[in-house]
Amino acid sequence: MKCTFVPSICSYCGTGCGVLFETIDGKLISTIPMKSHPVSGGKLCIKGWNLHEHINSPMRLKKPLVKTFGRFINTSWDEAIQITADRFKDIIEKYGPDSIGVLVSAKMSNEENYLAQKLARAVFGTNNVDHCARL
Amino acid sequence: MTNSIDGIEKSNCIFIIGSNTTANHPLVSRRVMRAKEKGAKLIVADPRGIQLSRFADVAIRHKLGSDVALLNGMMHIIIKNGWHDKDYISKRTEGYEEFAAEIEKATPEITALATGVSEEDLYRMAEAYGTAGAASLLYAMGITQHVTGVDNVKSCCNLAMLCGNVGIPGGGVNPLRGQNNVQGACDMGGLPNVFTGYQPVTDEKARAKFSEAWGCTLNEKPGMTITDMIPGILEGKIKGLYVIGENPKLSDPDWNHLNHALQELEFLVVQDLFLSETAQVADVVFSAAALAEKEGTVTNTERRCMKYDQAIPPLGDTLPDWDIIARLGTAMGYPMHYKNTEEIFDELTALTPSYAGMTYKRLGYDGLQWPCPSEDHPGTVYMHKDTFSRGLGKFHAVAYQLPAEQPDTEYPFSLTTGRMFAHFHTGTMTRVSPHLDIEQEDGYVEINPRDARKMDVKEGELLTICSRRGELDVPARLTTSVEPGTLFLPIHFGENAANILTSSEAFDPLAKIPEFKVSAVSVKKYKVEAPAEAQVEAEVEAVS
Amino acid sequence: MKRKVKEWLEDGTVDLFLGYRMNCGHPLPHCFTKEEIDDVEHLLVSRTRYSLEKIATHLAKRDPELKIGLLARDCNQRAINVLTIWHQLDKDKIFALNVNCCPSPIKPQADCSYMSGEQTSSYKVQVGIDNLMDIEKADDFSDQEKNVRWMYEFQKCLKCYGCRNICPVCFCAECTLEHKDLIGPGRLPPQIPIFHLVRAAHMAGRCIDCGLCEDACPMDIPLRLLYRKVGEIVKNVFDYNTGESSEQSPLSLLGEKVSLSLKPM
Ligand code: SF4
Ligand code: SF4
Ligand code: SF4
Ligand code: SF4
Repeated sequence: MKCTFVPSICSYCGTGCGVLFETIDGKLISTIPMKSHPVSGGKLCIKGWNLHEHINSPMRLKKPLVKTFGRFINTSWDEAIQITADRFKDIIEKYGPDSIGVLVSAKMSNEENYLAQKLARAVFGTNNVDHCARL
Repeated sequence: MTNSIDGIEKSNCIFIIGSNTTANHPLVSRRVMRAKEKGAKLIVADPRGIQLSRFADVAIRHKLGSDVALLNGMMHIIIKNGWHDKDYISKRTEGYEEFAAEIEKATPEITALATGVSEEDLYRMAEAYGTAGAASLLYAMGITQHVTGVDNVKSCCNLAMLCGNVGIPGGGVNPLRGQNNVQGACDMGGLPNVFTGYQPVTDEKARAKFSEAWGCTLNEKPGMTITDMIPGILEGKIKGLYVIGENPKLSDPDWNHLNHALQELEFLVVQDLFLSETAQVADVVFSAAALAEKEGTVTNTERRCMKYDQAIPPLGDTLPDWDIIARLGTAMGYPMHYKNTEEIFDELTALTPSYAGMTYKRLGYDGLQWPCPSEDHPGTVYMHKDTFSRGLGKFHAVAYQLPAEQPDTEYPFSLTTGRMFAHFHTGTMTRVSPHLDIEQEDGYVEINPRDARKMDVKEGELLTICSRRGELDVPARLTTSVEPGTLFLPIHFGENAANILTSSEAFDPLAKIPEFKVSAVSVKKYKVEAPAEAQVEAEVEAVS
Repeated sequence: MKRKVKEWLEDGTVDLFLGYRMNCGHPLPHCFTKEEIDDVEHLLVSRTRYSLEKIATHLAKRDPELKIGLLARDCNQRAINVLTIWHQLDKDKIFALNVNCCPSPIKPQADCSYMSGEQTSSYKVQVGIDNLMDIEKADDFSDQEKNVRWMYEFQKCLKCYGCRNICPVCFCAECTLEHKDLIGPGRLPPQIPIFHLVRAAHMAGRCIDCGLCEDACPMDIPLRLLYRKVGEIVKNVFDYNTGESSEQSPLSLLGEKVSLSLKPM
């Protein structure tokens, strides 16, 4: 049996409290406040304490999906990515790059946000990038 | 935030406006409470009675949307009593004359009328803030989600500069970011007009730099904001949309409007952990890995960039967001090959001056606060110490404007929206969490017991709320934390989505933030009497 | 100490050992195993306190046969005693390596992060309850003053449930604090004082005065003092020394659906 305590940051608000994910044999067991964290010093709110629960939720998507004739079917990554790339290429060809919009996320990491706007700007060729923080 | 979270404890006075801090930023409210217990003054201005109001030296409930009037009125009193920091104003700011002329008009009588706050309370607020020394101003969506959002923010800055509170420990203008990495998303160029670190896309030098680094030519036209994109779809300007980790169907200001728009799209891709309301109408859904399943960095509201580690392998056939994006880029003919997030981080720090001094190794688990321009820079605990980013701080003369929608005879109530303590944003993550769900399973609307009495509505009974956009039924929660004539609706619950009522037409002309905080609505008791719970129990008893 | 841990792991006395190690400047809990025996060199004994015995109960639930070693200060040891009395841990499967330390009034004169805590701020001393106060002093207030002061403290509550979540001896599968009929959900602050008094009542005969709850409380509510008072009553009335006596306390309130045997989840 293997048990680990992995430092992470609560993703439920902009405070950014420090947590430890307790795992046993690769399963997420609980969230423990990180005592020495500079922001939260071993305290959390109700959301932080239950951070692991949404990750363990049975409602999680497990596979990429494509919609055919109004219904979702499971698919492989290669296919999902290829379909998407083809459709975006079509749209760009037909209507130009500014016909595509990308909504990045305030829930993703910095690296992912960076990459997403790079995708929009360098690959799609549009500055139509925004996030939902206005909302 | 210009200052730090733990810096709040060093403050002599804390002024909270438009933030229900204990519910939305609980660990910030901890610092506020600690400052208070160390002897700081606490001022709370919120249209609702919030938990922190109980501890405040001055707690007022101003009219919804009257923030500018309130702040101008406070500044009027501060100037009249000479509590402003003249030295600071002359050395570090500009535009004071014009600004002071505007403030001159905001006499206590006028302010009291516009805000519904007594002149006496206004004086006490102004005195507490103006004479405190280091005073910290905290605000959240209650300030920004208005037609006058930018004006509200400017007024907050005016107040802080007026009393010399920007660039000192324990002071500052401190917006509390709602979502965990809003700060990071903005820093990373998740905005239509700027690259990372707020380098404008219209700036030729910045474009040249990115174009060289990325090996491509770049579009110089600033893009559309989300509030422009939705009508853009209806006008046929936007054909394809890639939505990552968001649920605009619940967070967009006008549900009906958006619903219609999403159907017009030729192609919609949604990337999320769950089949959210928005993902359900997508053409392709990418299943993303969750927080514990990947590593990376986030930047919190005090500009602290912090690293998190991977605890477990990704669930089933899910991938980290960065991997999905990289695969898509590669499939579109632009190779994006990264071994790990550290490689991406190194690429972005090289292009972003405020992050230039950061490496994974340096971040550790304490993180670093930007600006951190070089490897030997310790990070910045509070900003604008000796100078503002633009040199001198600029005062803005801001005149008070009424919210877009005022209650009238047809829609006599004011509705405001917000969050409750156990849920987050559109609820996609928190409502599947058993311990959070148990705390609040269904939506509700807060109504003053007086209003409820008039309509003969008891706790838990259904109310029908109508606005010019739509209507919904939602159980009542009786509480004096809302004034008579005001309603509060939490945003987390899809079955009674607040954005069925709010407007997509009213938004701040500059920041494009929709007016979520004020809508005019009518309220009546739900037509079919819902039987009381006790009665249902009795009936069930009788049957079984 | 490190030698002992290595010995235990090598000769199979324990299957794993819960202790601490430094990770990028942060002392964090760590699980040492035979496979990575060299890591034991990094075993750290410092002021850091996590509820290792609570983690041990998680492990034991998954595999009741597992032999668990752990670093135990006095408070951890007392908690282990309570947990074995309540069948959350198996006495024969738990191996504690004792670190002598504890500052609790149950055992005076020792050193721990708790006691070196900062001075309580002036305003709090004035209107609330000084966290460092002893029971007698707190009892000196008039009833009315007591009420006002405690209510001040309780009103700050963020309903984070941290006090319960971190507590080594709170192990109910369904907790009374989440009982809708007793404590109305969805409101901040929670219904006071009932929220806090229910938990206090439940701590009778179980709270071993480790102070982790107060450490975890974002609002610095003096929970330890509250539960000490309850412990004192149990001691005076029933002559029961929580954490040291070897039987279940004569007075005990639990939540619902408590599993009192070690079964895999
Ligand atoms: S634990 Fe609470 S306060 Fe801290 S980041 Fe998470 S949601 Fe925010
Ligand atoms: S002091 Fe607090 S955490 Fe420790 S056993 Fe008692 S109630 Fe639980
Ligand atoms: S830890 Fe403190 S704030 Fe959290 S529920 Fe317990 S008493 Fe309330
Ligand atoms: S019911 Fe009582 S003893 Fe059980 S977990 Fe809840 S507070 Fe603790």
